[in-house]
Amino acid sequence: MKYPGASAAGTVLLILAVALLTSLVTAGATRALTLTDEAGREVRVPDRSERLVSLAPSITEILFAIGAGPRVVGVTQYSNYPLEAARLPKVGSYVNLSLEKILALRPDLVIGIRDGNPKAVIDRLAELGVPCYIVDPTSLDGVVTTVRNIGRAVGREQAAYQIAGQMASRIRDVERRVAGLARPRVFYQIGVEPIVSAGQGTFPNILIDTAGGKNVAADMAAYPQLNVEQVLVARPEIIIVTSMTREYDFERVRGFWGRWPGLPAVAAARIYVVDSDLMDRPSPRIVEGLETLARLIHPQKFK
Amino acid sequence: MRVTPVRIMTTSLLLLGVLAVVCLLSLTTGPAKLRSGAVLAELFGSPGALDAMERTILMRVRLPRVLLGALVGGTLAVGGVVFQALLRNPLAEPFVLGVMGGSAFGAILGILGGWAFFPGVTGVAFAGGILTIALVIGIAGGRTGIHANTLLLSGVIVNAFFSAAIMFLLSVTRNQEIHNVLRWLMGDLSLSTFRELAILAPLVLIGFTLIFASSRSLNLIVMGEETAMHLGVQVERVKKGLLLLVSLVVSAAVALSGIIGFVGLIIPHVLRILVGSDHRLLLPASLLFGAGFLVFCDTVARVATTQTELPVGVITALAGGPFFMYLLRRKRR
Amino acid sequence: MHLIEARDLSFRYESEWVVRNVTFTLKPGEFLGLLGPNGSGKSSLLKVVNGILRPQQGQISFENRELSSWSRRRLAQRLAMVAQEVQLDFPFTVLELVLMGRYPHLGALEFESDRDLAIARECMERLEIHDLENRLVTRLSGGERQRALVARALCQRPRCLLMDEPTAFLDLRHQLDLFTLTRELTVRHGVGALVISHDINLAAQFCDRLLVMDRGRLAVQGTPEEVIRPEYLESIYGCRLQVDRSPFSGKPRVTPVPKEEVKEYP
Repeated sequence: MKYPGASAAGTVLLILAVALLTSLVTAGATRALTLTDEAGREVRVPDRSERLVSLAPSITEILFAIGAGPRVVGVTQYSNYPLEAARLPKVGSYVNLSLEKILALRPDLVIGIRDGNPKAVIDRLAELGVPCYIVDPTSLDGVVTTVRNIGRAVGREQAAYQIAGQMASRIRDVERRVAGLARPRVFYQIGVEPIVSAGQGTFPNILIDTAGGKNVAADMAAYPQLNVEQVLVARPEIIIVTSMTREYDFERVRGFWGRWPGLPAVAAARIYVVDSDLMDRPSPRIVEGLETLARLIHPQKFK
Repeated sequence: MRVTPVRIMTTSLLLLGVLAVVCLLSLTTGPAKLRSGAVLAELFGSPGALDAMERTILMRVRLPRVLLGALVGGTLAVGGVVFQALLRNPLAEPFVLGVMGGSAFGAILGILGGWAFFPGVTGVAFAGGILTIALVIGIAGGRTGIHANTLLLSGVIVNAFFSAAIMFLLSVTRNQEIHNVLRWLMGDLSLSTFRELAILAPLVLIGFTLIFASSRSLNLIVMGEETAMHLGVQVERVKKGLLLLVSLVVSAAVALSGIIGFVGLIIPHVLRILVGSDHRLLLPASLLFGAGFLVFCDTVARVATTQTELPVGVITALAGGPFFMYLLRRKRR
Repeated sequence: MHLIEARDLSFRYESEWVVRNVTFTLKPGEFLGLLGPNGSGKSSLLKVVNGILRPQQGQISFENRELSSWSRRRLAQRLAMVAQEVQLDFPFTVLELVLMGRYPHLGALEFESDRDLAIARECMERLEIHDLENRLVTRLSGGERQRALVARALCQRPRCLLMDEPTAFLDLRHQLDLFTLTRELTVRHGVGALVISHDINLAAQFCDRLLVMDRGRLAVQGTPEEVIRPEYLESIYGCRLQVDRSPFSGKPRVTPVPKEEVKEYP
């Protein structure tokens, strides 16, 4: 006698069995997904990459933040955060990569950044069969997207989406608080001798703008060299010095600007130093940089 | 000691042996440690000792790099010998007639123009070098033929002009491109492929054969152009031909490797001290020694620091200088 | 057959004529001396004769063929030149230098044979520099260098020998030796020689004929007896000349006479 549900259950069982068998059989083979990276390239990334190489300090930070840290086998020279990353093998600097060092680490996925990594090296890696996923964050929202994309590429979507969400909401919070406020003129100083600032297309520029300030170098080239006169003429109300001016201690720089008491920033004693890694790395910490800047530019809104 | 075919053979074989050892050294050195036994097996028949990644590194990264280094080093050395002979100037080297300025300018235009690395930048660099040498010869050539000093002067001026042009380009470039440009200006063998080698190798071999055939003429030309004429050399024809030929080959090499200085200047002097001034021996010896020298320098550039790779041009300068001084002192005694 | 036949040769650098309407011949076995004060065009004439300079006017032939129709290589097999000032600053040995005289005779990829080596050594012996075989040319004295260059020219086994003041750095003995050697070559081997010399007496003693140039023109040519006369030479050389016969050779001998006696201070 046949039970009515028996054949249906049997079919389901059969399907499940086949599915299980199939997955067992193909478990040995590497599954891969084809993604389109932020540079428009089609990349076949392994389903579960075990050996990641990061080609920029920002990418290193993202990978560790989303929990892929233990799988990273190689980073670039200035990947100094987090501390574990600083101890990993180096593959050169992000503008001067060593093809052989990357290959020697036998990566199954390389994550690079379009602005900086030599295209020739990426092309060679791809030619030699190493999947390269390239990101290209050019705005704050772009950084958030990049975090999500990297998460997807390395199989940590959940963690990545969570972090991305937090980043987005903190950014929105800052935007909300500074909306409608008058924008103080900000001079962002990267170099001391010669004086170098950050202009069009750079992250410091974007941050200053988002934090409710007006970058006096906003219309200039990416890393313009300025003479003192140009800075004086711009009459900045706030001067932000980055820690990138390593050899020059902050007091000396402050003393330097002190020679022009006519500068609003000097008169109001609004000369500050910030950690440059927070300002120009398109990683989760850039939001910290944004908040730091916002606090310095509009202190009354961030009690 | 006089130059005889036997002496050429033995010296060449000796230097070839040295070159082979240096190449093997280079193939086994690097971040990925490869045993020489495994490397030799892989190259000469019984592969299997290396895994896929090691094989990739050996065959598709290091081998083309070593071969390119050998070709470029040999070309630059031979170029130096010929230029020093034709211009009768011990400070001459292949870049002195503007090939450096022209191809650098071309390459930088290519890099800034965002063209793919091959043949885009290479092609423009090559074109730049050739056009510049034609320009310089055109400026310097006169009714009475090409005078060495005029040629040198034209080359200096043209190089200076292009240096200024290059500096201008650099000053208006975005940050990222500057690194590409600087790397090209300091020499970079790291991204060579067999495709590039397939074009350069026949060019170098044909060029070198023609140059070697002019060895006796070169011997005479260094004694003086009138002397050379008295002894049967069509000096103007040989000069023009050799200058163009060498510039062609050097431009091709430089287009692939970027500017690598010092090799063309120092190697000829080193070899003159070691084997004498007869070009029938000096040329093949310089080719082989120059090849080995550059491969060696490139190996050092790769492993000198653990953080990153140094530009090979830095190593050639650092290695070439003291070695040459040592040879000079030995010769004085 | 003439070795060299020059007719109405004229050559100028830029706008200045340095050789004007020169006509002469050189036969095999003849030893011609080319004389004249500084700037008279002797060196330039020699350069026209060996094809380095192209005359703007006139004809010149070598072995009855238009000089310009000779290839440099064929010419070098039969015509050798010893130039006046040669810079030897590349480190070749003397043997290597002299062997270069054989180059015009070697095929494209040929190397020097034992015979070439023997010829080179023989030439070096003639010039008494055989023990300098392995010395670098940069380490030679002026005289040794000059003899090496002559050896190289001889090594070419030329039919015609041109020399520009080959005795400039040689001491007396070697001066005599060189002219004697040249005389031998012309008399015994039929070589034709055209030699520029500052030493009128030496030329008079050895040469068959003399050509005297004055401001580009061939002022007078002929045997030493015909040419060495005060009426010809005083105006050319611009000084008083005493001409007599050498008691040894019987050839004319010239002694320049100072304008005025150098008196002691009164």
